[in-house]
Amino acid sequence: MGLELTASNIVKRFGERELFNIEQLQVQEGESLHLSGDNGVGKTTLMKILAGLDKPCAGRINVTPNLKGRWSTSLHPKVIYLHQTPYLFSGSVKDNIAYGLKLKGISRGQIKRTVQSALEWARLEEFADHAAHSLSGGEKQRLALARAWVLTPGLLFLDEPTANLDKQSVDSVTELVRKMVDGGAAVMISSHQTNPLTELCQRSLLLADGKVSESLLPKEMFFDA
Amino acid sequence: MQDNLLETSMLSLQLLFSLDAELWDIIGVSFRVSITAILIATLPAILVGFFLAMVDFKGRWMVIALFNALMAVPTVVVGLTLYLLLSRSGPLGDLHLLFTQPAMIIGQVALAFPLLVCMSHSAFQSIDKRAWETARTLGANCFFAVTTIMKEARFALLAAVLAGFGRIISEVGCSMMIGGNIMSYTRNIPTAIALETSKGMFAQGIALGLVLLVLALLLNFTLASIRGKGRLV
Repeated sequence: MGLELTASNIVKRFGERELFNIEQLQVQEGESLHLSGDNGVGKTTLMKILAGLDKPCAGRINVTPNLKGRWSTSLHPKVIYLHQTPYLFSGSVKDNIAYGLKLKGISRGQIKRTVQSALEWARLEEFADHAAHSLSGGEKQRLALARAWVLTPGLLFLDEPTANLDKQSVDSVTELVRKMVDGGAAVMISSHQTNPLTELCQRSLLLADGKVSESLLPKEMFFDA
Repeated sequence: MQDNLLETSMLSLQLLFSLDAELWDIIGVSFRVSITAILIATLPAILVGFFLAMVDFKGRWMVIALFNALMAVPTVVVGLTLYLLLSRSGPLGDLHLLFTQPAMIIGQVALAFPLLVCMSHSAFQSIDKRAWETARTLGANCFFAVTTIMKEARFALLAAVLAGFGRIISEVGCSMMIGGNIMSYTRNIPTAIALETSKGMFAQGIALGLVLLVLALLLNFTLASIRGKGRLV
């Protein structure tokens, strides 16, 4: 059974100011969505709420099948959120990739093999033992994707993953995200601009005036014109 | 005077290197009490520091201000308070702890705790919020996420522990008041220095002072080498 996220009546307020009030939002297995909207409309907040990292003031988020751990109250193990600028833990590139695997209690041998596959997947083999902090922006983003990939996410939230990246890095990140989508993961990519990565998306959502609405994909706009 | 100083210094070195039993007894008491106190205080204080840095609640700034104020309380005031609590007529008099090593440990925990809380709070405050979110989204439960953040802040936390240890092993007021400076039991380095100096016996005082100086140098060199000689990451 595939992963499905349903959010109903999600409200987020900061003091008196209501950031958004979203009646219904659904993400299904294998879907790729582009969440667009101007700066400050709440794209990051919405994605964090959907990923369980932030709490809404009201509303309900349901992810099926429910695989939450005994001690986890809000996060689903198959739902992963990636920051615009990834946070890399101190240690090597390998250590970062192994982080989530170690938490799963997988054997050392298995972790080693999976980390090696991830390094090849993200083309980071040559940096395996480098300090994660020493990587460039594009390499950091690839490392963050590899770190998520080893956990076989069902739904991945990518918050402005190509902001501040050069064209070559955008292409590399796009290639990795495409592989994840082809592997069956659903992705939601927030971006206020279109680029090769957002062109992967099958659906486009617009967050504006506190509401989410379906909008045309850039390619559909082209045909409409 | 110069000859006297030289002579006293030589005598102090002689005391140290001849493994003078009385002197090393005092050093032993000091380390036993202070290491126990820092071991007791560290984990709870770091967790309080973490809580203050990560959890937003009403009156948080007041709690932080209170710990900052407690950090500045003179050691004799802490000693006096504990003396009143532990003395026979005090509310905890029945425990018969006054002038014992456990009393000194309690006093040193009380001295180290606010410092550890404040320094670990600052350490956690300097950690990016994304570290916590990343740990959580990659599958860490709250316990493992806390340990991850501690690992990220390890140098600052280690500095806090060393600063706390430095504060309690060198404090005199509290140890004197609730320890009582009993030879081979509650006499530690600072109380011994104070006593010997008051008697005009400077050699032992200098020898013990040298121990504290070497300790301070060792702790700081250790911290600096672990930190990577101060370079930016």
